Amino acid sequence: MVGPLGTVVHQIIPNFYSGDASSLAALHLQRLLRCLGHAGEIFALEVAPGMTSLVKPVSLLRALADDWVLYHHGIASPLSGRILHLRCRRGVVYHNITPARWYPRSPLRESLVAGRAQLKAMADHLDVAIADSRFNAQELIANGYQNVHVVPLFVEPERFGVDQADPATLTQLRRGGTTILSVGRIMPHKRFEDVLCLHAELLRLRPGARLVIAGEYQPGDAYFRSLRKAARGLKNVEFLGKVSHPELVAAYRAASLYVSMSEHEGFGVPLIEAMAAGVPIMAFGAGAVRETMNDSGVVFSEKQFAFLAELASELIAPSALRKAVLRAQQRRLQAFSASRVLPCLRSAIPPRRSTRRAVRNRRRVALIVQRYGEVLGGAEIHARQVANRLSRKWEITVLTTCSRDHLRWDNDFPAGSHREQRVEVQRFPCQRPRDLRSFNMLSRTLFDRPTDYGEEQRWLAEQGPYVPDLFRHLDKHRDDFEAFIFFTYLYTSTVWGVPLVGGRAILVPTAHDEPPLRFGVYQEVFALPSVLLCNTPEERELIHRRFPRHARTRLAGVGIDTSPGTPSRFRKRFHLTLPYLMYVGRIESGKGIPELLRCYAELRRCVAEPPELVLAGAGSMRIDQRGVRYIGPISERDKLDGIAGAFAVVVPSRYESLSLLALEAFSQATPVLANGESEVLKGQVDRSRAGFTYRDPGSFVRGYRQIDAERRVLGRRGLAYARRHSWKRVLEVYDEELTRIARDHR
Amino acid sequence: MKLLGTKFNVPELIARIDGRLRARGLLATHQPRAAPVHDEVPIDPLSFNLHALEEHADTTRPLPLATHRGGLGQLVLAAKWTFRKTCQVFINEALARQRIFNGHVRDSYAQLSADILKLKEEVQTLRASQPRRRAPGKSAKR
Repeated sequence: MVGPLGTVVHQIIPNFYSGDASSLAALHLQRLLRCLGHAGEIFALEVAPGMTSLVKPVSLLRALADDWVLYHHGIASPLSGRILHLRCRRGVVYHNITPARWYPRSPLRESLVAGRAQLKAMADHLDVAIADSRFNAQELIANGYQNVHVVPLFVEPERFGVDQADPATLTQLRRGGTTILSVGRIMPHKRFEDVLCLHAELLRLRPGARLVIAGEYQPGDAYFRSLRKAARGLKNVEFLGKVSHPELVAAYRAASLYVSMSEHEGFGVPLIEAMAAGVPIMAFGAGAVRETMNDSGVVFSEKQFAFLAELASELIAPSALRKAVLRAQQRRLQAFSASRVLPCLRSAIPPRRSTRRAVRNRRRVALIVQRYGEVLGGAEIHARQVANRLSRKWEITVLTTCSRDHLRWDNDFPAGSHREQRVEVQRFPCQRPRDLRSFNMLSRTLFDRPTDYGEEQRWLAEQGPYVPDLFRHLDKHRDDFEAFIFFTYLYTSTVWGVPLVGGRAILVPTAHDEPPLRFGVYQEVFALPSVLLCNTPEERELIHRRFPRHARTRLAGVGIDTSPGTPSRFRKRFHLTLPYLMYVGRIESGKGIPELLRCYAELRRCVAEPPELVLAGAGSMRIDQRGVRYIGPISERDKLDGIAGAFAVVVPSRYESLSLLALEAFSQATPVLANGESEVLKGQVDRSRAGFTYRDPGSFVRGYRQIDAERRVLGRRGLAYARRHSWKRVLEVYDEELTRIARDHR
Repeated sequence: MKLLGTKFNVPELIARIDGRLRARGLLATHQPRAAPVHDEVPIDPLSFNLHALEEHADTTRPLPLATHRGGLGQLVLAAKWTFRKTCQVFINEALARQRIFNGHVRDSYAQLSADILKLKEEVQTLRASQPRRRAPGKSAKR
């Protein structure tokens, strides 16, 4: 059934919004599908504001005959009719439908019954059916589905660690001792009234016990009002309403016991979340609960509340029972990891059959980078240098965007293929510009608190670049290449691209200690490649600290050309007569320019004959300060000439994985004055002994004076250090790693 | 009471808890309430859709009044009820043609679905009457 080309797997879902279990399931499924080598997007009928970067309107779905479309089915949706008319391979992902008997007089009843009728109507038309539990699979089979697979949901335990909890909520909920927790939308089938009954009994045994119910409710809903009324007669009952992920983690982490009284569950996501948070579980064995728990926790068959309160009391106390239950839950949790679920999905949607026999040239390598060509950016220049030099031995194809500017992702270059010397460059258009304002707002929100997978994916999508054609190309032509070199861990081109090729990828992470590096969404980027080629020992150490399960690492770095520049040419061209400090790079706050300007103002105040400060590079910052010359973007030749003639080169960024600028300064025997907040820059300066670091205006001035005192010695040391970074050594590393991948995957 | 969990001694745990309940004089006073077990039966889409069309063809009939909102939501509900009571004659007038159209859709669907059911039965009869040439393959794929 699986054709030789095209394994794009799209998903369609009625509604997509933050905090929704089905929406998160679709994102998780997309992640697993990428790990199986399937590109594809998510489309929805209704997309919550703010999610449009992650999910497209379903009207934009264009599935080719060889593509798959998976439909997430729940209550009645027009998508169940639409999928029947798609001319491609089709499947359903079934999350179960709550039985209509729980909603006899609700408007929801019709949608529930219609959803079940739609489920049956699709059975004869779909190629595959995926259920997240055997319980759901049985219902699919009863409805006439044949190719049915169970692909459980999964959870990332590290997202339920105490470090992921909202501190304020945690402190508030931990006050007062014993806390019973129940999680779920306030709906009749969840039987929260039974949780209240249990709490009433438990209060007799533990008068200080508190009941916390976390889940969305509608204030005017009759069921919720009845619960609130019942709760008024009890002590210590708290309805948290809809909570964010950090608040939810705080609730789990504050809980002594998790209780489920639900009488219908198709899977029971809160159960595995409680397992991940290390909370003992007591659950009524309805629907798929017994299957999900599988003899871990305590599953009961009758709601005898006095008995259950005694049982709860024993589970709350530090008893042998509690220990045994927690141990069993930890073992059970392993079944709900991405690595355990992946083989289940593989059997449902098999990976594409390899066509590697058709590869004529076994030395083809794809290099994937977010921007390429005449663009500013250390990683992008690095990628270009590597591509040009590797092309002497390997057939290099660069897969990149049409953008020159990473802030907006405008399509500045034409799409399509062209040659730059020996390198073939294929450009794909960015289909959405970056909305910098909303992206910065989102960043400010997420960088200061724990985040969930959906939020991180949204941040990633908003950052961009959004190039679906690149992923489709990567998916379709995967076997035309021997190996893949990805540059920069940060962007979607790498995060969504690496899983498509897995072990045939080399990643040059160019990682530095910046807020997104703590996002769990990057775990796979650092784990899946064959090797991570680091630029410095500091970068390697950082990766090891942040991603303990990372792939093999190796130091590669870049080579440095030590041919001298011509300072007089640069001085003449830019009319420079005084000594000058020089910075070359993007002129933006993220590069530490505001701090540099403050340091420079202090230098002018303290030094009798201060040098000028020359800033070169593209940027949008307005610079109007005495002694500062902004000369705009310059050529490579001007850059080397300028660096060669500078009194010192300043490197103000605190986020560096290598700093080409520092190495280029060393190569021109020019000392460096670098931001000591960057571990990498500090390492480069310490190893080379060819400059100084600063952390504030005072140390900036001291550094300047020290350079003034021993400038010649520093220059000599820098040159010696640069000579140790030869391209020959760097290319040997790339060559060995490419050969290894070619050998291992042949 | 039936407890599931293999990592602890279930009979011993039940006995221990029963003992504590007995000491509190509670064992006999609480009646267990086990949830009824329901298997969700498949719903035939053709007949469901026909019933749904029959139920909703008359657009002049009101849906039950309901709201999930508190406070003002209740006021809105009262306003809707008043509107229906006072303006039903205008509602009938505005939706008269829609009601007739829906009736035709319902009747057409009823005739077409009846034809489909009859054809399905005929296909099944024909298939059953044909001699089996070979055993079906292993593949679960249709």
